[in-house]
Amino acid sequence: MLRLGGLWVLRMRSPAAGVPVKNLCLRELASGVSSPGSTSPRALNIFDRDLKRKQKNWAARQPEAMKFDYLKEEVGSRIADRVYDIARNFSLALDVGCGRGYIAQHLNKETVGKFFQVDIAENALKNVLEMEIPTVSILADEEFLPFRENTFDLVVSSLSLHWVNDLPRALEQIHYVLKPDGVFIGAMFGGDTLYELRCSLQLAETEREGGFSPHVSPFTAVNDLGHLLGRAGFNTLTVDTDEIQVNYPGMFELMEDLQGMGESNCAWNRKGLLHRDTMLAAAAVYGEMYKNEDGSVPATYQVYYMIGWKYHDSQARPAERGSATVSFGELGKINNLMSQGKKSQ
Amino acid sequence: MSGNGAVWGRVRSRLRAFPEHLAACGAEAAAYGRCVQASTAPGGRLTKDLCAREFEALRSCFAAAAKKSPRGGL
Repeated sequence: MLRLGGLWVLRMRSPAAGVPVKNLCLRELASGVSSPGSTSPRALNIFDRDLKRKQKNWAARQPEAMKFDYLKEEVGSRIADRVYDIARNFSLALDVGCGRGYIAQHLNKETVGKFFQVDIAENALKNVLEMEIPTVSILADEEFLPFRENTFDLVVSSLSLHWVNDLPRALEQIHYVLKPDGVFIGAMFGGDTLYELRCSLQLAETEREGGFSPHVSPFTAVNDLGHLLGRAGFNTLTVDTDEIQVNYPGMFELMEDLQGMGESNCAWNRKGLLHRDTMLAAAAVYGEMYKNEDGSVPATYQVYYMIGWKYHDSQARPAERGSATVSFGELGKINNLMSQGKKSQ
Repeated sequence: MSGNGAVWGRVRSRLRAFPEHLAACGAEAAAYGRCVQASTAPGGRLTKDLCAREFEALRSCFAAAAKKSPRGGL
């Protein structure tokens, strides 16, 4: 008994003198978010990546994991459409944050020769969906891709970059592993995603508890996306946006589906507890403010699709200033101009 | 998490019954929602317990629905 007491006293004394252990832990948590005066702009730590891995593992191990796949399947098929739109065949492709491989199952062997699937959750990789393209599954973090420079013809990423802490660095890594004249096609959640849920929780928490804390993770704005891709070194950028609206019976079903998808909140500054009263209030507010005619409630998922190319000499570049041969004023006569061009050829 | 997850399982099963209890209190939920929504109009301010009365009505209806169901109580 005496020895136990001695050990306990030692543990209490080990932190810095005068600082109680409880405050030390709080300060560690707070320093996870970058302070305004930090020297390096890259020292961003918003999300708990370890917890995200645990959440994705848990979601992949659920008995009926497939019934939460609808959103990722839809976005995966739209990305596969964009891959088909590019009139090229890719011998080696990489899927960053693949989950269970939603993109690869829509592609065929002619378009993509071999597929590398990368994810941080091993249970998701174990349950990879059936597909005809030969695949290699690798357990890796999106920010630390373990590949050499100039390896891949195609990199795709579907709905996983919104949990990355250092997005500029992740995009730079993707640029690094791409071959010259390689292309990156990505999909990320945008700012309007789940705004109904965010607003309902905010209003209910304010009314019930007097203040509110963030429950929906921060998303990238569309302007920032263009800048980020440009900074990472990509050329010929294309960003377009799409909104998918899914109807749910109520707020609780929406939250259950989000958890089943592995999309639970893992930000460091999340509140650990959501009171039952607040949940009830938020469900009532959600139902009243946003309900459809048939009584269901909508949830908006705004997806940004981005396409970026790695520089290669063969790519089209903007023409030299002053090298124009026709002016915009002659746009009305474009049919004549085109037929003239054809005749001269 | 505990070893066999008994407590967690119990709590989750209670939570899973929330939507049907809430569905039984449609009128009170709508009244509460309307009260909160009214405060978001320009000129309104949402403060703590602004709609406390409507929420109490919702909560008591919800608790009654929960007691009636075979699960038994919040």
